[in-house]
Amino acid sequence: MKNIEPLNMTGWQILSLTILRITIGWHFLYEGLIKVFNPEWSAISYLNNATGPFASIFNSLASNSAALGIMDALNQWGLVLIGLSLMIGLLSRWAAVGGMALLALYYFANPPFKGLGESSMAEGNYLIVNKNLIEIFALWVIFQFPGSKLTGIDRFLNFKWSKIKN
Amino acid sequence: MEKNNISRRDTLKGLIGLPILGYFANRFYVSNKRTSTKPKVNWSEYGISEYDPDIIPATGYSAKGDKIRIGIVGFGGRGSYMCRALGYAHESWAEGFIKNGSPTSLLKNFLDQEDLNIEITGVCDTYSGRAEEAVETVCTSIRSGGSSKADAPKIYPTYMDMLQDDKLDAIIILTPDHLHAKMAIDAANAGKHVYLEKPMCQTADEAKTLRDTVKKTGIILQVGHQNRQQASYMKAKEMVSKNLLGPVSLIETFTNRNNDHGAWIRGIPDEANESNVNWKEFLGDKPLREFDPDMYFNWQKWFEFGTGPAGNQFTHEFDGVNQVMELGIPKTVVATGGNYYFKDPRDIPDVFNVIFHYPHRGLSLTYDCTLRNSNVRPMTFMAEEGTMEVGVTFSVFPDSRSSKYKEFKENPDEPIFTYNPKSTAVDAISSATARSYFESGFGYTYNKGERIDCTYLHIKEWLNCIRKDIQPSCSVDRGFEETVTFYMSNLSYLEKRLVEWDAENENII
Repeated sequence: MKNIEPLNMTGWQILSLTILRITIGWHFLYEGLIKVFNPEWSAISYLNNATGPFASIFNSLASNSAALGIMDALNQWGLVLIGLSLMIGLLSRWAAVGGMALLALYYFANPPFKGLGESSMAEGNYLIVNKNLIEIFALWVIFQFPGSKLTGIDRFLNFKWSKIKN
Repeated sequence: MEKNNISRRDTLKGLIGLPILGYFANRFYVSNKRTSTKPKVNWSEYGISEYDPDIIPATGYSAKGDKIRIGIVGFGGRGSYMCRALGYAHESWAEGFIKNGSPTSLLKNFLDQEDLNIEITGVCDTYSGRAEEAVETVCTSIRSGGSSKADAPKIYPTYMDMLQDDKLDAIIILTPDHLHAKMAIDAANAGKHVYLEKPMCQTADEAKTLRDTVKKTGIILQVGHQNRQQASYMKAKEMVSKNLLGPVSLIETFTNRNNDHGAWIRGIPDEANESNVNWKEFLGDKPLREFDPDMYFNWQKWFEFGTGPAGNQFTHEFDGVNQVMELGIPKTVVATGGNYYFKDPRDIPDVFNVIFHYPHRGLSLTYDCTLRNSNVRPMTFMAEEGTMEVGVTFSVFPDSRSSKYKEFKENPDEPIFTYNPKSTAVDAISSATARSYFESGFGYTYNKGERIDCTYLHIKEWLNCIRKDIQPSCSVDRGFEETVTFYMSNLSYLEKRLVEWDAENENII
């Protein structure tokens, strides 16, 4: 991964990036832990009920028990690890990429291409853009602006940034 | 600090996520503890699991053994549905479910159905256009379970001609209601097994004769109440039979629809006329009269050929209740209603209300129907300890005066038991409250979260019973209860009186 040095940002800019990273991390961590703590949780119904152009791929994942086991573990622990990583700012750029990949799976399993009525149980109204897509792009921002190198554990991983110390 | 080129302030900044993580951990612990200490009924103590994926027996039946040769009688509104349940989907139907070259989930559900090991050898319909459509459907290249294209079935002029075929094992009757009894009796006497669309018969007397004929001949008859395969009904039955609701005093059932199709206006094909409709054969035992295409194609609108909302719709509800509680025939019935909205030729009501009394069971069953409102209400069992609402899913709500579930009575709107066979638990990520499951209604049931056509399972059960010579879930006895019950309501409506059942002599008083 190309090493991006922190930009010359103002304190407020850094703070806003940090809050964005930590809140997304919080969301991922909670989604992950809820699934880890619920012994009955499985991605099966989500995969079975997939809609849109990729529905058959998701359906076939649900019908293969090995694939389903991987999907379940990937979801549970993937969410937990990405969440932790984003919250404390450790390897955040990698976490952002992983988070975008997971969100892309959720997005394409139920893409709101048709707008209203596509998903009767969704809590809002979406046409093409939904919260998954927005979170994907928010993570892209995290990826592009490595604030964790200032306000995360990532700071301690690379001492050559000493030049930007106060 | 200076040695590492990181100041104290930088260190603090770098660790900013940690106190927030600590706060998260604290909140997660508290919220998790609150959820797990919420009062919860230990259902497993009563032998009930909240998720039971293998509840539908028909999913496990094998189609191995002799190939069963079937004839289809009548190919109207129900014909193409039935053919899909049997494994034959018309190309024009399938085309609607292919997007970007791959099948959508509904078509995939169809293709995933097992090969039932059958052959459709004959079809007949009193309208030649529909007989041809039946042949076209059977000869489709879209088959479930990897089956190959079938040979064209023979078109018989009448069902009696079809019954002459010694090689025919069974028939599926999808004709108007007034022909059900006669056709099923003739088939039984010819030694053919019968799948008979609901309602089983038009009148109580017909039902009695058919029941006795089926018992005498020993054929296997399944009445087409495909919701016998509905997982939620099976689960609801467990709930009642383990007496977890206490005595049930009232059961409410409903049908509400608000469109012409729902009011049995089904259209008349342009090509249909006296030359291609066998009007006399359609009339059967009814008095001869002039050809009337409205009466022929929209026969449900008249009590002479159909059975009104009672036979068409209530029977679905009744059979559901009968499954859950084994109610049988009521002691007395009173019905009222009227034809208020549809002014086209018809004599059936469009608003219909019935009370079925079961004094021997300490309960009443009600049915309310309007054809000018489509608000969907669940079948509701009202019992001393709680209220059970049954649809494709079902929920039990505690009664505010319940003694069994008193720790829940402060939240009577929160179910103490929910059975949702569509889903094992919450989905992947709740960006939406995102349980995006479909309200596909009663045509489908769910097994291990997988959607399956109920009619396919109902047919599969019937075929299994034929191969093993055992009785199906919706046997002629259940059909007898269904017909007598709905017929009593029609009689009450038409004669404007309380109708009583004399169980000993099997007579309506």
